Amino acid sequence: MNGLIGSLRAIGYVLVVLIGIGWSCSAKVCAETDDAFFESKIRPLLTERCLQCHSAEKGKTQGGLALDSKLGWEKGGDSGTAIVPGNVDESLLIQAVLYGEGLQMPPEEAGGKLSDAEIALLKQWIQHGAHDPRTSASKRGGMTEEQLRAWWSFQPLKPIAVPDVAETGFRNEIDHFISAKLESAGLQRAPEADRRTLIRRVTYDVTGLPPTAAEVEAFLADTSPQYYDILIERLLQSPRYGERWGRHWLDLVRYADTAGENTDHPIPDAWRYRNWVIEAFNSDLPYDQFVREQIAGDLLHANDTQEKYRQGIISTGYLAIARRFDHDIDKFTHLTIEDTIDTMGKTFLGLSVACARCHDHKYDPISTKDYYALYGILNSTRYSFPGCEAKQQPRDLVPLQSDAQWAKINEPFQVQLSAIDAELKTLNETLANQASDFQSQSSKSMSRLAAGQIAEGANHTLAESAPSNADSLTKIDVKVGQIVQLTIDPSGDYGADSTLVEWEIQELGGASRKWNLVEDLLSDGVAANPHKDSYNNEATWLLLDGRKSLSLLPEKVVQLSGQPGLVAWRMGDNPAVFANTTDKPIAVWTSLPAKTLFVHPAQDGPVAIAWVSPFDGHVSIRGRIADAHPGGNNGVGWRMDFFAADHSTLLKQMIAANSQRPVLMAKRNDVVAQSPVREFAYAVTEGMVANAKQHLRGDPEKLGDEIPRRWLELFGGEAIPPSAGSGRLQLAKWMSDPSNPLVSRVLVNRIWQHHFGKGLVQTPNDFGTRGILPTHPELLDWLAAKFIENNFSIKSMHRVILKSATYRQSSIQPLTSIIETAENIDPNNNLLWRFDRRRLTAEEIRDSLLAASLQLDLKPAGAHPFPPSSTWGFSQHGPFAAVYETNKRSVYVMTLRNRRHPFFGLFDGADPNASTPQRQVTTVPTQSLYFLNDPFFHTQSELIGRRVMLQSETDRRLDVLFQIVFQRLPSDAERGTAANFLSSYMSTVVDQSEQDAAIFAWSALTRAVLSSNENLYLD
Amino acid sequence: MTRNTHAPNRRRFVRSAVASSLLMPGILSEILAADSAEQSNPLSPKPPHFPAKAKSVIFLFMSGGVSHIDSFDPKPKLIEDHGKEVVFDHPETRNRPGYEKIFLKRPDWKFSPRGQSGIEVSDLFPHIANQADDIAFIRSMHTSHSNHYNATLGMHTGSFAFARPSIGAWMSYGLGTVNQSLPSFLVLAPDMPYAGTQVWASDFLPGAHQGTRVMPGSEPVANLVRRVPQSKQQELELEVLKAFNASHQAKRMNDPQLAARIKSFETAHGMQTEMPAALDLSQESDATLALYGLKRGETSGFGWQCLAARRLVQRGVRFVELIHTGSSGNWDSHGNMADHGRLAPQVDQPIAGLLQDLKQQGMLDDVLVVWTTEFGRTPFNNTADAPGREHHNWAFTSWLAGAGVKRGFVHGATDEHGIRATEKPVHVHDFHATILHLMGIDHERLTYRHGGRDYRLTDVHGHVVRNVLS
Repeated sequence: MNGLIGSLRAIGYVLVVLIGIGWSCSAKVCAETDDAFFESKIRPLLTERCLQCHSAEKGKTQGGLALDSKLGWEKGGDSGTAIVPGNVDESLLIQAVLYGEGLQMPPEEAGGKLSDAEIALLKQWIQHGAHDPRTSASKRGGMTEEQLRAWWSFQPLKPIAVPDVAETGFRNEIDHFISAKLESAGLQRAPEADRRTLIRRVTYDVTGLPPTAAEVEAFLADTSPQYYDILIERLLQSPRYGERWGRHWLDLVRYADTAGENTDHPIPDAWRYRNWVIEAFNSDLPYDQFVREQIAGDLLHANDTQEKYRQGIISTGYLAIARRFDHDIDKFTHLTIEDTIDTMGKTFLGLSVACARCHDHKYDPISTKDYYALYGILNSTRYSFPGCEAKQQPRDLVPLQSDAQWAKINEPFQVQLSAIDAELKTLNETLANQASDFQSQSSKSMSRLAAGQIAEGANHTLAESAPSNADSLTKIDVKVGQIVQLTIDPSGDYGADSTLVEWEIQELGGASRKWNLVEDLLSDGVAANPHKDSYNNEATWLLLDGRKSLSLLPEKVVQLSGQPGLVAWRMGDNPAVFANTTDKPIAVWTSLPAKTLFVHPAQDGPVAIAWVSPFDGHVSIRGRIADAHPGGNNGVGWRMDFFAADHSTLLKQMIAANSQRPVLMAKRNDVVAQSPVREFAYAVTEGMVANAKQHLRGDPEKLGDEIPRRWLELFGGEAIPPSAGSGRLQLAKWMSDPSNPLVSRVLVNRIWQHHFGKGLVQTPNDFGTRGILPTHPELLDWLAAKFIENNFSIKSMHRVILKSATYRQSSIQPLTSIIETAENIDPNNNLLWRFDRRRLTAEEIRDSLLAASLQLDLKPAGAHPFPPSSTWGFSQHGPFAAVYETNKRSVYVMTLRNRRHPFFGLFDGADPNASTPQRQVTTVPTQSLYFLNDPFFHTQSELIGRRVMLQSETDRRLDVLFQIVFQRLPSDAERGTAANFLSSYMSTVVDQSEQDAAIFAWSALTRAVLSSNENLYLD
Repeated sequence: MTRNTHAPNRRRFVRSAVASSLLMPGILSEILAADSAEQSNPLSPKPPHFPAKAKSVIFLFMSGGVSHIDSFDPKPKLIEDHGKEVVFDHPETRNRPGYEKIFLKRPDWKFSPRGQSGIEVSDLFPHIANQADDIAFIRSMHTSHSNHYNATLGMHTGSFAFARPSIGAWMSYGLGTVNQSLPSFLVLAPDMPYAGTQVWASDFLPGAHQGTRVMPGSEPVANLVRRVPQSKQQELELEVLKAFNASHQAKRMNDPQLAARIKSFETAHGMQTEMPAALDLSQESDATLALYGLKRGETSGFGWQCLAARRLVQRGVRFVELIHTGSSGNWDSHGNMADHGRLAPQVDQPIAGLLQDLKQQGMLDDVLVVWTTEFGRTPFNNTADAPGREHHNWAFTSWLAGAGVKRGFVHGATDEHGIRATEKPVHVHDFHATILHLMGIDHERLTYRHGGRDYRLTDVHGHVVRNVLS
C-alpha cells in the first residue's frame, strides 16, 4: 500500500511541477528549434536512461520497444505505440516513467525512476509533437533493399568462365579455380598423394570404412589408366556410401530416436526415415527431389503407386523428428515448429530463419512476418505425436498404405472374416434359441429342493439350509435327462463374489455310483464344458450362464489372473466357474485352497451348475457352499432345483451346436493371424489448415495480426493459393527451386566440405551476413551450376570433386621452403595448397574397429528393441534411457536426445538436438583414456590380435596387423620396434602359458597401432 | 571472446625451434604441444575479461526444489496467517482439480538469528546456519518454469526448453583450466538429474568443455582404471605408441593436432593417477574428515562429494558441480515436508564443513561456493494442514559464499508470505551473470557464434547483482 500511495504522491508532485514548467517555459521552447531541443535535452536523456535496454541498433529491444529511432517508438512495443505526439496522457512512455500502475520504467536495476525534471522534459517534448530527427532506412529484416541486392549469396548464379592459369597437371576445372588463387598468392598445389594414401583417403571419405588389404593390393596393381575412376565408381556403388553420406544428412536434420521432451519418449518408427535417407543417397535421388520428398512426400505421391506413396510418407519423417518440448508437448507445439523452421532454414537455405520468431532478423532479410508465414504452413500440418509424460501413448502415426490401398490388401482377409462371423452369428442365434427353450422347458417342470442364504464369510452345508423339506436332498427320483441345478444368485447383492462349491450326488442302491463335482471336473483340469463324469457319460455336468436364458459358459481361460492352474469357464469376466487345479493354494483377490472349485455370478444375474442324470434311479445330495471372498458384506444366496422334464434331446442339440463354436473361433484366429498388419510411420499429414497469427515477441499467448501463408519475401513472397491445403506442396517446390541460388550453393558447399574438411563457405549453415564469405566464390558458383546441369545428382558432384587434382594432392608439402611461405601467407590452408589432414569421426573409429575385428555386421538395421508402447509410463523422474549394444554400423546405433551416447559424446558425434553442419574435433585426455582402458576397445583389440596370430611368424603377423590398420607393410624400423615391444611385454606376463602371454602382447601391440596417429588421422 | 585465430608468426617460430631440436624429440613434442595448446587445445588457460575475484567454482545443486520458507527465508507472517485462504493464478494450481481453493501453510522449522550478522536461518540446516556470517543469501530468486526438467535445465544453461551449454561448460570455454591432467568441468553426480546429461552438456561449444561425470566407486571417471594388470605393461604400450607416432610425425612436423594427440596420451596416463589421488581422502586428517561428517574410509555420500570437490579445486579444476540426489527420491516433497528433514542432514554438515575447510585452508578467497535448487516450494497448499508443498518458481533462496562475495549478507526479499520475490528480484539469468562476473567474465561478452547467432549463457538477459559483491 505504501508503494501505491507513494506513486500517487509522486504523480501529484510531478503534475504540480509540470504545470509550473509548462507555464514558464513554453515560450522559450518555441524559441528553440525543435532539432536543438531534441539534441540537447531528449537525445542525451534517451541515450543515458533508455537505450541500454531499448535500442534496435544494439539489438536490445526489451518488451519489443526500440527508442533509438522515430520508427521504433511509432511502431511501439508489445503494449502498443509508445508515444502519441501531442498527447502526453495517451503516451505509454509517460505512464511508464511516472511509475504508474502498469509498467514502471526505467526499472530499479537500470537506475530507477527518472528525476522529476527529466520527466517534465519528456512531457514537454511530446506535448510539442515529439519531433525526432532520427530516421532509419526501410529495412527487410536486418537489411536495406540495397544491402540485400548486393549480398553475394542472394545473387543469381551467373555463367562463370573457367580461369586460365599457367600451371599444368590439371585434372578438371576445379583445379583451374584453385590454382588461379594459389598462383596469385604465389603458392602452389602439393604433389599428388601416393596411391596407398589415396585409396585410404577416398575409401574413408566415400564409405566411412578403411579399404581391405585385398582392395589396396588390387588398386596398387591396377595398370588401367582409369584405375582411379574405377575405384571411385566401385565406392560410389557400394551400399556403404549411403551409410556414410546419409549420416552427414542425419547430422544436419538432428536425427534422433527419441522425442527430446521431458521424458525423452522413444520413437519406435523413426528408423524408417533414417533408412530412407541412407537409401536416397545410395540411389542418388536427385537433390531437388530429395528436398521435396522430405517436406511433402505424402502429398507428392498421394495418387502414386503404393510403394511410392509409402516412401513418400516415410520421407516426411524429416518434419516429424522435430524436437518436442516440456511436460505436455501439445502445449508447446510453437517450439516444435520453431525447431522445424530453424532446421529447415539452415539445412536447405543456409539461413537462420528462426531468428525472426520474436523480432525481425537483426542481420539478414527475414521478417517476423516471414517466420509466421512459414509457421502457418507447418501449423496446418499434423505431426505424429510421440507421447509424453502427460499423454504416454503415441498417436497420429501415419499408416503406410492409404485407406484404399489398405482396403485392397486387407480385403481377402476381411471376406474370410465376414464369412466366419456370419457363421458365428447364425450359431449364436441357434444357441440363444436353444438356451431359451432349455429355460422354458426346465422352468415348467421345476421343483425347489433347497435354498439358503449365507452370511458374509460364512459357510454351510446344503442340508443345513433345507430344514422345511429334509427329504428333498436325501432321496430323489431321477430319470435320464432330468436335471438337478445349483444356482448362485447376485440378487439383493448376495453372492456377487467368489463362492466355493462342493457337491456330491450318491446313487442309492444299484451300483452306488458317485458324482463328485470337484473330483469330476478337476480330473482333467476342467477341460470341457459340458463335462463328462467319471463313468464316461458325456455331458453330465453343465456350467451355465444363469441369466436371461440358460446357456453354456463359452470361454475357457487357462491362466486366470495370470496364475498357472487357475482355470475358468466364463462369459465376459462374469459369470464364471473357476477352479484351482493345483496342489497348492493360490493367492489372488482371495486365497484359493488347493483343488477347489468356485463360482462367481454376474452383477446382473446368476451362475449355475447342472447335473444331468445319466440313469433312472434314486440319488441323495450332499454339499457345501462358502463365501470364499469375505469383506464385501454381501454373503451368498443360493438355490437348488430339480427339473423333471427330459432334457436329453435338447441337450444333445445344445452340445452339438456348442461344439462348433471353438472350431469357428480357431478358424477366425487363424485368419486374423495371417492378416497383414498395418504399418505406420512417424511422419506428417495435412492438419487443420489456417493462417497463423503472429506471436508478439514470440509469446504464443500474445497474438498479433494474422499472417497469410506464403514464401519468404526475400525470394518473392509468393502466396499459398486458396484451397491448396497446408501449403507444404508449394513450400517443397520453393525450397528446391533451381532458380533460388541458395538451394544449389548451400548443398554443393556441403559436399565440398565433407570431402575437404571445410567448405568454400566455412559457415555451412549460414550464408547470411553473419556467415563467412566464400574463399572461392566463382568455384562455388561453377559447382552449383554443374550440379543443376547434372540434374542435382549428388554422386555426379562427388565424381567431379574426387577426380580433381586438388582432391588428389598430398597432405604433405615436401619442401620446407614452400611450407614456410604457405604457412605465412595462408596458415588456415584456405587456398588449398595441400590436402587437410583430418581425424576420423566417431563413426569411422568405431566401424573400423569392428571391421578390423571382423565383428562388423553390415546388414542394415531396422527398428530398435524399445519396450512396447503399451508399457510406457515415463516421467521426468524416470525418463526413458537405454543403450542398445549392436555390431551394426554406427549410423544404426540408437540415439537419445536427452542423454549423450557415451562413445559418440566423447568423440564429437553429432548433436541430436540441433543441426550439426560440421563435426567439431576435440583432442581431450578422456579420449585417450578410452584407447588405454575401454573394455570394448580392449575386446576388439584382442580379437584383432587373435586374427593376426593366425599367422605363425612374427613378421607375417606384423604384415597383417599393419595391412589391416594402416593399409601398408611395416618398415624395418617398425619391425624392430614391434619385436622389442613384444619380447619386453611377454616378459612382464607371469603365471601364464606362452600362448596366453603372446595373446596379451599382440593385443597390446594392436591397441597401440589402433591408437596411433597414423590410424586416427587421415592424410 | 572469439574463437582462436591462427598465429603464423608463432607457428613459424615453433617450427624453426623444432628444426633445430630434432635430437630432442621429447622437447619437440612439448613445444609442439605448447603450440597446439594455443592453436587447438580449447582447455588452455585464457585471461578473464577483467581481474577475477574467484578462480574456481563449487556449484552445489539440490535437486527437486528446496523450500525457501522452511530454510533460509523467515516469514513470521506466514505463521500468523496459517490457514488463511489466498487467491493466485499460480502455474501449479491453475485448473488443477482439488486446488480450487488454496490456503497459507506455516513453515515446519523454527527460524532464529545466527552469528554476528543475525541472519535468520531455520533449524532445517543447523550447521549451515552456523556459517551464516560467511554467506550472502539471495532471498529474492525467481525462475521461469515450474517443472523440474525445465527449471533444472534453466538453472544450468539459462534455457528453459532448448538444449544449450551448461554454465560449467561456458566457464571452461571462457577461462580454460590450469591443470591439464584433470578435466576443466567435473560433475559429482551419483544419480542422474532431471534433463539427464544436458545438465552438464557443452552442446554447441567444443566437446572438451562438457562436464565429466564423476561417480563414487572404483571407477569414478569412465575408463580411468588401468585395464592391464601392471603399470609396466601400460608404460610399454605407451612407449611403443610413442615410437609409432614419432616416425609418423617426422614427415608431418607442422601439424599441431598430431602433437596434441601425443600429448593427450601423456595427460591421460597422468590422469589415471591424478584423478584417484584427488579423490583419495586417506591423506586427510581426522579433524578434516570430521568437519564433513565423514567416517574414515567412507567413499560416498554428500560429505565425500564436498571434500572431493575441495581437493579438485585445490588441483585447479575450474568448475566442480555437486548434485544432491537425482531425478527421484529428492527434495521434491509434495507428499510430506518431513522428507526435507530426512534429506537435510545428508547435506547440512558436509556443506558447512566445506565452507569451514575452505576458510581454514585460505581457499575461500579464491573459490566461489554456489548453493541453489531449481525452484522453491509453495507457502500454501490446497488445505492448510496438507503435509507437503508444491513447486514454486515465483520465489526461492539461493546463496553464494567465498571469493568476491559479501559475508553475512542478505540480498532481496520476498513478500510477507514468501510468495513473490518483491524486493530486488534476481532471475536465474541475473544469478548466472553474477557468477560469471565473479569469475572475471562479462556475461555479455562471453559469446559463441553458432548457426549465425552469437549465443550467451544469459541469452539477451541478465544483470550482475552488484549488491552481493564485496
